[in-house]
Amino acid sequence: MKLILVAVALAALVAAPWIVTDPFYVHLMIMVLMWTVLGASWNVVGGFAGQVSFGHSAFLGTGAYTTMILYLNMGIAPWYGIVLGGLVAAVIALPIGLICFRLRGPYFALSTLAVAEIIRLVALNWESLTNGPVGLLITTLPPVTLAGTALDWESKTPFYYIIAVLAVGALVATSLLARSRLGAYLLAVRDDIDSAEAIGINTVQVRVLALALSAFLAGVGGGFYAMYLRYIDPDAVFSIPLSVEMVFIPVVGGLTTVMGPFIGAVFLVSLGETFRTHFLTGHLIFYGLFMMVAIRYMPEGIWGRLRLMVANRWGVRNA
Amino acid sequence: MLELKGLTKSFGGLRAVTDLSFTVEKGAIVGLIGPNGSGKTTVFNLVAGFLPPSAGQVLLEGKNLVGLKPYAITRKGVARTFQTVKPFRQLSVMENVTLAAFLRFPMRRHAEAEASRILEKVGLKGKIKLPANDLTLVDQKRLEIARALATGPKLLLLDEPMGGLNATEVDLAAHLINDICADGVTIIWVEHVLRAIMNTSHRVIVINYGAKVADGTPREVVENPDVIAAYLGKRAKPHAAD
Repeated sequence: MKLILVAVALAALVAAPWIVTDPFYVHLMIMVLMWTVLGASWNVVGGFAGQVSFGHSAFLGTGAYTTMILYLNMGIAPWYGIVLGGLVAAVIALPIGLICFRLRGPYFALSTLAVAEIIRLVALNWESLTNGPVGLLITTLPPVTLAGTALDWESKTPFYYIIAVLAVGALVATSLLARSRLGAYLLAVRDDIDSAEAIGINTVQVRVLALALSAFLAGVGGGFYAMYLRYIDPDAVFSIPLSVEMVFIPVVGGLTTVMGPFIGAVFLVSLGETFRTHFLTGHLIFYGLFMMVAIRYMPEGIWGRLRLMVANRWGVRNA
Repeated sequence: MLELKGLTKSFGGLRAVTDLSFTVEKGAIVGLIGPNGSGKTTVFNLVAGFLPPSAGQVLLEGKNLVGLKPYAITRKGVARTFQTVKPFRQLSVMENVTLAAFLRFPMRRHAEAEASRILEKVGLKGKIKLPANDLTLVDQKRLEIARALATGPKLLLLDEPMGGLNATEVDLAAHLINDICADGVTIIWVEHVLRAIMNTSHRVIVINYGAKVADGTPREVVENPDVIAAYLGKRAKPHAAD
């Protein structure tokens, strides 16, 4: 049953650009999938490990800048750059984790905010590397021929398939994490750090690993962001609103669930765009209201609530 | 197997534990008692690595534990429970214990088998699927012990395993503690339920204001005038006002 659902979902993912041809809606699907990756990233650290980070744009931005700089300065194609961006973000996450995970709860959350701000300021002022506040721009992407035809970088379809692969990868990674011993340890850390230590879990180490994995996914998402939008500057990719959006997506979708970030991205990205087109001014008010209602009445998230409902019905039938 | 040498802990100006020394032999059940605020839990926190001592040593089989993180001390064979229970609340009873068993059984299948064995021993077999949060206090205390046992300890530190239990439950818990000892686990046990600790312990150590007041068999300890003074206050001297 589950396999069939997954197969149908994958088929729909592959077929979508043939059915939806309006570039605006293709763009919307790309955004949904990009936010799925970013939401899945936050879900690892904020959901599984229960460590609230308000600074995840640090990893997104690191991935974006790595991809851009590698391409512009060294000619390394963005599709390699995206993966390398993820790796650089993961490496940067190690010292950040070792420092910030000495703190707990709100103090950790505040420290992530501070770290993201530090990294933004570094990007803003290290002009020889980042071009400072002017930002970096990709004018042309390297030509690629696939099965004899050149990919058209001016159309959105190639980007759709790239981000689709990345989003599926992020969800598969989450699913593997949920089944692994590391995933189980993270849930222990989420529920009680002292007890986790008392049963022999090196809680700093597992949280740092979670942050590195999370940062990798955020860096990958950021690398794609850079390649797709082709322009980045420090205030765009290291911004607090991006960090906050990365929190909201998995929270609204369903923390610690595999599909939560995708569901959250579908709802929030499409709602955001709808409000933007229908209420030119003040669309953020509606967005904020929706967020408050969702969190108040569905603290386990949309997907989390659906799973609970299915489980309950199933349980009642068997009782 | 455990030796405390001059263990001291100050919080600012307050000395919670002062120059405390004692040894615990392998296979013993040692009761650690004292009035409220006498430093019992602090001693556990120092031994298990949750607090760094200001001075002194904690030796497990001759090796110093001071400076090690709590998880490292657990891996050396010292498990603890918490006075106010700290289960992994959103996880099932089974998962709570399985997580601890991972320390010795990296394969989930083996860890779950070990967890089942221990849950049966502590009397939680029928509740393995419940979220830990839904258990009664008695069962949460049992879960706390089960989780500590699943790490495969040589030394078990029990912090008030009977707090809040009724008389029947206390007897069951005492039985369980004897059982655990019979399996070769050395036990240090902080408790306020004196009847239980006097019946079950081989030896009792009394502390007050963080310092050792008495150390001996349960009978010796209850007859010690210093212990009576620590618990009840000093006997008023006749004509003290003169």
